[in-house]
Order: sequence, then structure tokens, then C-alpha cells
Amino acid sequence: MIEISRLSKRYGAKTAVDDVSFSVRPGRVTGFLGPNGAGKSTTLRVLLGLDHPTSGTALIDGRRYRDLRHPLRTVGALLDGAGPVPERRAIDHLTWIAQSNRIPRRRVREVLDLVGLGDAAGQRVKKYSLGMGQRLGIAAALLGDPEILVLDEPVNGLDPDGIRWVRTFLREFAAGGRTVLLSSHLMTEMAETADEAVVIANGRIVARGSIEELTAGHASLETAFFALTEG
Amino acid sequence: MRAEFTRIRTLPATWIALAVTLAANTLLGLLAATDTVRVATSDGQVAVSQLGTVMLAPVYAFLAVPVFAAGRELRISLLATPDRNRFLLAKLLASAGTTIVAAPVLLLPGLLVRHAAGSLPAEMTAYLLLGLVGGGFAVLTRTAVIPLAVLLALPVLVSPMLAGLLPGLVRLLPHEATLSFLGTSTGPALSRTAGFWVLLAWAVVFVGAAWVATVRRDS
Ligand SMILES: Nc1ncnc2c1ncn2[C@@H]1O[C@H](COP(=O)(O)OP(=O)(O)OP(=O)(O)O)[C@@H](O)[C@H]1O
Ligand SMILES: [Mg+2]
Repeated sequence: MIEISRLSKRYGAKTAVDDVSFSVRPGRVTGFLGPNGAGKSTTLRVLLGLDHPTSGTALIDGRRYRDLRHPLRTVGALLDGAGPVPERRAIDHLTWIAQSNRIPRRRVREVLDLVGLGDAAGQRVKKYSLGMGQRLGIAAALLGDPEILVLDEPVNGLDPDGIRWVRTFLREFAAGGRTVLLSSHLMTEMAETADEAVVIANGRIVARGSIEELTAGHASLETAFFALTEG
Repeated sequence: MRAEFTRIRTLPATWIALAVTLAANTLLGLLAATDTVRVATSDGQVAVSQLGTVMLAPVYAFLAVPVFAAGRELRISLLATPDRNRFLLAKLLASAGTTIVAAPVLLLPGLLVRHAAGSLPAEMTAYLLLGLVGGGFAVLTRTAVIPLAVLLALPVLVSPMLAGLLPGLVRLLPHEATLSFLGTSTGPALSRTAGFWVLLAWAVVFVGAAWVATVRRDS
């Protein structure tokens, strides 16, 4: 369970996130939707303890991320601007992350096989394609076998096959009673992946509910989205 | 901690920096021992052995880069270890550990050819403290390039220029203090003890500033 309440984040004079509240329940895939610059990544960075909130709280099972001792075993995350040094081999990258949270070493192999990188484990990350890099990020998020996944634009750069793989994977993950929060600006993709969505524009929440509720009265989630974010 | 060592060990840049440092130290040691190369300065000729300045330079590259300037990986580290105090402690211990393991290997060949193996403990201490200065600086600026540039420019460009004008000030710079501490200073010097304390103070200041910045700011 993720609970964000009255969260604001200012960078100097710029208010990136403005009094945002929502919660994310287990057993469902929740989409975090908004146009470029809406404040999605900022909200997720605060949730994951990277940025300090200006005010408000973001809690995971009632605790701040920063107070979790081995956070990767509770929350798996994929963020932009976070990844391995390109010269590193994928397997080494996952190994040090696993060690940092006392995750057994065999998990490294398991998650590499799970995301389909088993054969590329020993390659340097700079040789990876965009899609492979994204899969490696997902593998890192899954290392600790977490109950909660927080993914910032996980399908960015993936081909249709990759997108379908992520979608199927997340749906199964949530069906097992776990929690998924993923951000995206791709409406059509989100309509097929998520059960619920929270829509953010200019730092404020403009709508939330199930995909059916949000689309009601509009031709598609996409037109609903434009109506909501441009109003 | 162990994770931090793995992180450092599996980074190619670490090994490249180690190799360069080792080669530079050995080469400089050889030159010093044989006294084949002399460098002209305003006071005439100075043996390379006295140009300790150059000798210490690779230290920054070796320590500051792999441990503290992690770039994109910084966020991964912080996700894995969100408690900023634990995060920095692990980094400091890992950098100290790396120095203690690597310094003898790096320093001994150079010292042996100079018949000065006895000064190993002092040189190791100097490496450790200089590494902390560089590491703290790298945390503050979040890059490896700026600290390296500044820390290399100080001894190579700034101190020779200011040495004549402000000898009292120049000898307090980290590099000059280190040389004083090692007793290899060529310019205006402090006593060895004073050199040690000044260097220690630099390390404390940079690590302290890095600590405050890391706890407070966003990443
Ligand atoms: N570190 C920062 N300093 C200053 N402004 C920032 C910073 N981070 C984000 N912003 C600003 O906050 C706003 C929200 O940015 P954010 O990255 O959260 O948007 P986003 O919804 O993730 O967009 P995108 O879809 O492009 O990823 C933007 O206007 C951005 O310029
Ligand atoms: Mg974003």
C-alpha cells in the first residue's frame, strides 16, 4: 500500500508537485498518467526518498522509504537517470545491488533469466540496446522479490514485443496480490495495462479512478486524458 | 560495505586508475633513484625526486573517481541504501579499505627503487587523507572531473605561481601540506607534524561538507 498525502515539492520558484494526494492498493495495476513535465517523476523520486518533500508525506506500508532497512526487499523501482555505469557488466551491476540488501546471489541469475537477459549477462551495459537496458532496470527492480513495484516509464524505448512482455508481467504480478504503480504519458498503452489511473497535470491531480470511470463519456482514454489535462 | 567493494572492483575505471598510478609511481621512483632527469627551474636544476608534487597527483584519480563519483549509479546506491548516514559510512569505509589494500602495491615499487620502504606508513596515511579530500570534493560537485581538475591544477599551476608571493598561504594547501608531512616539500614548508594536522583538517572539512550536503540535498 502506497499513501501519498498532501505532497508538495518546489524547486526554487517552480512548483513541480502541488498538494498531491492518492493511494495505491495491492492487487491492482495503478497508472500514473500525465503529460511531459506534469510532475510524475518528481512524485516518484520523493516517494523513493531521493528528493525531500517541501511538505506532505509519501509512505510505503505506513513508513517512509528512507526508514526501510533493506528497502529493495519491499519496493522495487525503475527510475530515469538511475542505472549502471555503462562500462559495467550486467551481472556485476545486479550483484552489488543484491549484496547491498542481503539478497541471495542466486536471485541475480533468476531475474536475468526472468527478463530474458540470461545470455547477455556477461556483456558490458554500453553494448545493450535501449530495450535490453530497460529490461535490466526491471531485473534490478525485481531482485528483492518485492511486494511493491514503482516504475517510471517502464515501456519507454521498448518495441511492441517488449511492451507486451512488460504488460503481461505486471498484470500477473498484480494478480498475485502485489502492488504496481507505473507512470506513463502513453495513454493507449496505459488503457490496456492498468486497472486504475491517477491523472496529474501541472503538478496537480486532475482525476483518479478505474480506467472505465475515467473513460466514461469519452471515445477513449486518450480523449478523456486531453479533456482532463487541457481543461 | 561488501556491495560497495564489489561495485568498485567490477568497475574497469578502477583498474585503469590503479595501473596508471602504479606505473607513474614506479617510473617516478626509478627516475628519482637514478637521477637521470633533472628539471630546470628558476633556482637551477632540481632532481625529479624533489618534485613530489607530481608524485602525489595520481592519488586523486585513483581514489576520488571510482568510490564517490558514481554518476547514474548514485541514485541506484541511494535506492539501495536510503539512509544517508549509512550510505556515506559505507563509502568512507570502502574508500579507506581500498586504500589500505591497494596503497602498498602502488607505493612499494616506487619506494623500493628509491630505497625508502620505511616511509610506507606515512605515504599510506597521506594517500588515505588525500583520497578523502578528493572523495569529499567529488561528492560535493557530483562529478569526477571538477575535483580532479582543481586538485591537479592547485599543485601544478597555482602553488608555483603563488609560492613566491604568499608562501604562508601556499604551504597550507592540501598538496603542500602533504608534502610537508612527508618531508619532501621543495617550497615553503611546515613541520611534518603541522603538515599532518593541516592535511587532516582538509580531509575533515571536505568529508564534513560532503556529509552535510548528502543529508540535506535532493538527488
Ligand atoms: N531538479 C529539478 N530542479 C528544477 N526543476 C525541476 C527538477 N526536477 C523537475 N523539475 C521541474 O518539475 C516539473 C515536473 O517534472 P517531472 O520530471 O516530475 O515531470 P514528469 O511528469 O516526469 O515529465 P516526463 O513525462 O517528461 O517525464 C518540470 O517542469 C521540471 O522542469
Ligand atoms: Mg518523468
